[in-house]
Amino acid sequence: MSRLITRRGLIVGGAAAAGSLLSACARVDNHWPAPAMLDASDAFTRGAERLLLGRRPLARELSLADISAHFPLSGTFMPKGDVYKRFLDEEFASWRLRVHGLVDRPLSLSLADLHALPSRTQITLHQCDEGWSAVAQWTGVPLGRVLGLAGVQKRARYVVFHCLDQVELDRNYYYESIDLRDATHPQTILAYGMNGKALPVQHGAPLRLRVELQIGYKNAKYVDRIEVVDSLGSIGKGRGGWWEDFDHAIWYAGQ
Amino acid sequence: MALDSLESKAYAAFKKSRVIVHRMIQQLELRHPWPVRLWHWLTATAIGVLLLTGMLLFDIHPRLYWGDDGHEGMPAFFSISAPDLDRPVLQTDLQIGSYHFDLSGRLGLAVDTGFGDKDFLVFTPPADWDFGATRGWHFLCAWVLILGTIVYVVYLVASGRLRRMLWPTSDEFTLASLGRELSQHLRLRRARGEATRRYNLLQKISYLGMFFVLIPVLVVSGITMSNSVTAAFPDLLALFGGRQSARSIHFIAAMLLLGFILVHVFQVFVAGFFNLMRSMITGWFAVEREESP
Repeated sequence: MSRLITRRGLIVGGAAAAGSLLSACARVDNHWPAPAMLDASDAFTRGAERLLLGRRPLARELSLADISAHFPLSGTFMPKGDVYKRFLDEEFASWRLRVHGLVDRPLSLSLADLHALPSRTQITLHQCDEGWSAVAQWTGVPLGRVLGLAGVQKRARYVVFHCLDQVELDRNYYYESIDLRDATHPQTILAYGMNGKALPVQHGAPLRLRVELQIGYKNAKYVDRIEVVDSLGSIGKGRGGWWEDFDHAIWYAGQ
Repeated sequence: MALDSLESKAYAAFKKSRVIVHRMIQQLELRHPWPVRLWHWLTATAIGVLLLTGMLLFDIHPRLYWGDDGHEGMPAFFSISAPDLDRPVLQTDLQIGSYHFDLSGRLGLAVDTGFGDKDFLVFTPPADWDFGATRGWHFLCAWVLILGTIVYVVYLVASGRLRRMLWPTSDEFTLASLGRELSQHLRLRRARGEATRRYNLLQKISYLGMFFVLIPVLVVSGITMSNSVTAAFPDLLALFGGRQSARSIHFIAAMLLLGFILVHVFQVFVAGFFNLMRSMITGWFAVEREESP
C-alpha cells in the first residue's frame, strides 16, 4: 500500500513539476517575442515548403478499399441555432454560398448550382493535429473553378471561409483562411459529397472545404460564405482562423 | 655535521611531501571551441521544448498505430484509454500489444473539448496551455534542431573534429575493447588523467548515433506526417510503412532520445559535474596530470 502511495506521489509530483514548467511556457505564448517567433517560424515553414516541394504536388490518392469504416468527428458536429435548423429542415433548399470581397463578380450559388459545375472526386487521408488520421472519399467543385467564375482581383491574396457553426467556447462562428496558392490547388475542393453520399451533417453539410495539403482544422465545415481578401488583419483577431485566434494555432499548418 | 645531516634529511622529507602533495596537478585545456558550446546549448533547449510539446501532442491522442489510418476504434499497438468518459472515476487501461494494465483512478482524465464532447488525456496540461500553439513551438524548435545539426555536422567535418574526436580509431573498434568499455561503464568506473582527454568508444558511438541516426530518423519521420511533404516525396510513406507508422516511429525515437539525455546527464554527474559543466560553458576542461620531476 505504501509503495502504491509513493508511486502515485511520484506520478502526481512529476506531473505537477512538468505542469508548472509547461505553464511557464504557456504564459509565454501571448507575450512578445513569442508570437513573433511563432509567426516567423510559420512563415519560414511556408517558404521552405514552397521552395523545396516544387510546384503544386498532388497529395496521394487512395483506393476505395482504403476508406475508413469510421471517420472520427472533430470540431462542431451539429451546429446550434435556428438558422441551421431551418436549412436542415428544408434540405438546404434556400442555402446559398456567397462569394464576395475582392472579386469582379460576386456570386450566390445554390447547392444545385454547385452540383451543375464540373466536379472532382478524391480519396485522401485526413490528418488531425491531435495525431489521428482517417481516409474518406470527397466529391465537390474545385475551389479554383468557383474563384475563376467570380474573377479574383489582382490584389487578392487570401480566401476566407466563414462558417455556419458557432463555437461554444467563445461564441464566434468558425472561420478559416488559406492563401491563393493553396486555394487554386487542383485537389482543393468545396465538397458536397462524402463516400458517395451527400455530405453528412456531422462532417459539415451542406458544404465543406477539403484542402488536402493541409492539416485537419484548415478544412472548414459548414461553409456559409467565401470572402476574398488582401489581408487577414480584419478577419477575427487577425490571425486568419478560429483556432489561430483562440488557441494560437499556426496558420500555415500544413508544414 | 650531525645537525646538517638532520637538516638535509628534514629538507628531503619536506621536499618529498611537497612532491607527494603536488604530484597530481590540474591543467586547463580548451576542450570545446565556441561552435560546439553554442550548438550544444541551442540543441539542448530545442530538444527540451520538442520533448515537452511532443508529450503534450501525445497526451491528446495517446495511441500508436501501424499503417496509414489510425483513430479511435482502430487497433493500436500501444494505447492509454478509458471506455466511458462520463464516469466520475475513469477505468483507465494501458494496453501494450495484447497486454492490458488496469490504471483505473490512477491515470487519465476527461476534458470538455468545448464542442459538446469529451477527450481523454493521460495527464493534466496547465490550465492556460494553448493546445494550438503546441505544434507551433514544436516546429520552431524542429527548425532550430534541423538547421543547427546540418551546420554543426558540416563544422565537425570541416574542422576535423569529427575525425579527431568522434571517429573510433581502428584499435578501439574491436569486440575486446567494446567489452572492456562496457564493463567499465556498467561499474561506473570514471576515467582519470590522460584518458579524460578523449571520448571513449561508447561516447563516440552514442554521439555519432545522435547525429547520423537518431536526429535524422526523428526529422524524417516527423515530416512524413505532413501531407504536403509526402505529396512531393511519396516514397517517404513507403519507407516508414504509412503515416501512422511514421508517427509511431517518431515517438519511439523520441523516447530513445530521452534515454540518451538521461544517460548523458547521469554521466556528467559520474564523471565530474563541475569540470564538465565548465568545459561546456567556458570551453576549459581540467586534465589531471602527474607533475614531471
